[in-house]
Amino acid sequence: MREKVAIGLGTASALLLTYTLYQMFMVLSDEVLQGAIYRIMFFHVPAAMIGMIGFFVALTMSVLYLSSGHLRYDALAASIIEVSVIFATVNIVTGSIWARIIWGVWWVWDYRLTSQLVCILIFAGYLMMRRAIDEPTQRARLSAALCIFGCVDVVIVWKSIEWFRNNHPGPVLTFRTGGGTMDPSMEHVLYWNLLALLLLGIALVLVRTRQDDMAREIDSLRRLANASA
Amino acid sequence: MDQRNFVFMFYGFLAAWLIVVGYVISLARRGARLKKELEDVKQLAGSAQAQPGRLEDRVR
Amino acid sequence: MLRQALSVARKDLSIELRTKESLNASIAFAISILLLFSFAFDAVLQDTVNFAAGLLWLVVAFAGALVFNRGFARELPNECLDALLASPLSAASLVIGKALANLAMLLVVELVSLVVFGIFFNVHWTTHPLFLAILFLLATWGISLLGAVFGALTVNLRLRELMLPVIIYPVLVPLLIAAIEITNTLLSIQPVGATEFAWGKMLVVFDIVFTALAVFLADTILVN
Repeated sequence: MREKVAIGLGTASALLLTYTLYQMFMVLSDEVLQGAIYRIMFFHVPAAMIGMIGFFVALTMSVLYLSSGHLRYDALAASIIEVSVIFATVNIVTGSIWARIIWGVWWVWDYRLTSQLVCILIFAGYLMMRRAIDEPTQRARLSAALCIFGCVDVVIVWKSIEWFRNNHPGPVLTFRTGGGTMDPSMEHVLYWNLLALLLLGIALVLVRTRQDDMAREIDSLRRLANASA
Repeated sequence: MDQRNFVFMFYGFLAAWLIVVGYVISLARRGARLKKELEDVKQLAGSAQAQPGRLEDRVR
Repeated sequence: MLRQALSVARKDLSIELRTKESLNASIAFAISILLLFSFAFDAVLQDTVNFAAGLLWLVVAFAGALVFNRGFARELPNECLDALLASPLSAASLVIGKALANLAMLLVVELVSLVVFGIFFNVHWTTHPLFLAILFLLATWGISLLGAVFGALTVNLRLRELMLPVIIYPVLVPLLIAAIEITNTLLSIQPVGATEFAWGKMLVVFDIVFTALAVFLADTILVN
């Protein structure tokens, strides 16, 4: 069942992406100041949003694991973090390529890039730590603890680095500025792209969680086989 | 400058897609490996005991 | 709980004082790093003030990793950790106790580093001694606490020595930024202003939040 949902979501995502890509290249014209490169934003911004939301959904899953003990929550948390790290990486890489044209450099130590990099490092550490633990309950417990520490730190990181440095483009989406900074047709494509990438992300999380279930099944069958042998 | 603009846009799209597609491929490979391992272990444990794994869900 | 934590700290510190292995290694490491930095940056006298603060805190962070690794690892032989957990000691007081011990050791390393730093890079650190002391206390507590928590987290892992730095450094970023910013002002001739107090407030928030989290999650991390 879950596989069918994942395939369904993946297909929906692919269709939406085809639509948005068509909009991006055939319908929308180049932006006045930036030229063609602005289209990267349609992937850069949604990837950032999904990454961030993902980390906090994983936090919720970790807390749910600690309170209930169901390993399912741990599997969900790990899958969500893995997919969020991928999206955050897409965010940083696409941003970097955009920056090379617009700012002339691959990287600046501005607060959003630095914060995002720190987030990726924190959760990459989380994923590495999971690899180093074999026992499922211990892994779930320690991962949940690390996820909580990580997410709390993410909030502090963002606020503190924002104080420290600031030259990334400011908010342009209507819900942040109250309207008027970005052309509505562009914003509309961006939101569709956000939906498309979100569906893709959910599909990936479902697949990954199913794989975790399989791994646990293998583990328990092995123990069963050893016990009866 | 306009030329590089387009080229870099494609690099950007390419990078985004490569990362996502790379991850999907690694997921697919991991899935295939797990499936095979599951079949092997199921045979080992005996097909009578091969119920969809809910045994290990509750652990406290 | 505080009394239990203090007895854990006292135990660790007395072990450490007897052998001085961590302390000596950390101090030697700190001085070597400072030496390497002198080559890396080709320190011209006037310029050092610009990056002195950053260097100092980097040295503390790196030397800290050595101290933290030993913190819980020393409990592994002879299953001392299991014994500690089975005792009436709460997991939280164990973690806080280790953090206190880390704090003491790191403060010693910092003091030595500061002196050596002043000599190698001609940095004047005596202009605002009280503020410097408070800053060091606050920042080092944050580092020591996280070192203890992540030390507990990684104690039973493969590649423990590698995992601890990998996990702890990104989490320490805001604390290090605050410490570096404040130290920048304290080492130069500028007066201490509102920005420094703002960073100081952030440090306090960081310390409080993570201490609370550590106490709350200590059981989860340590108890099987």
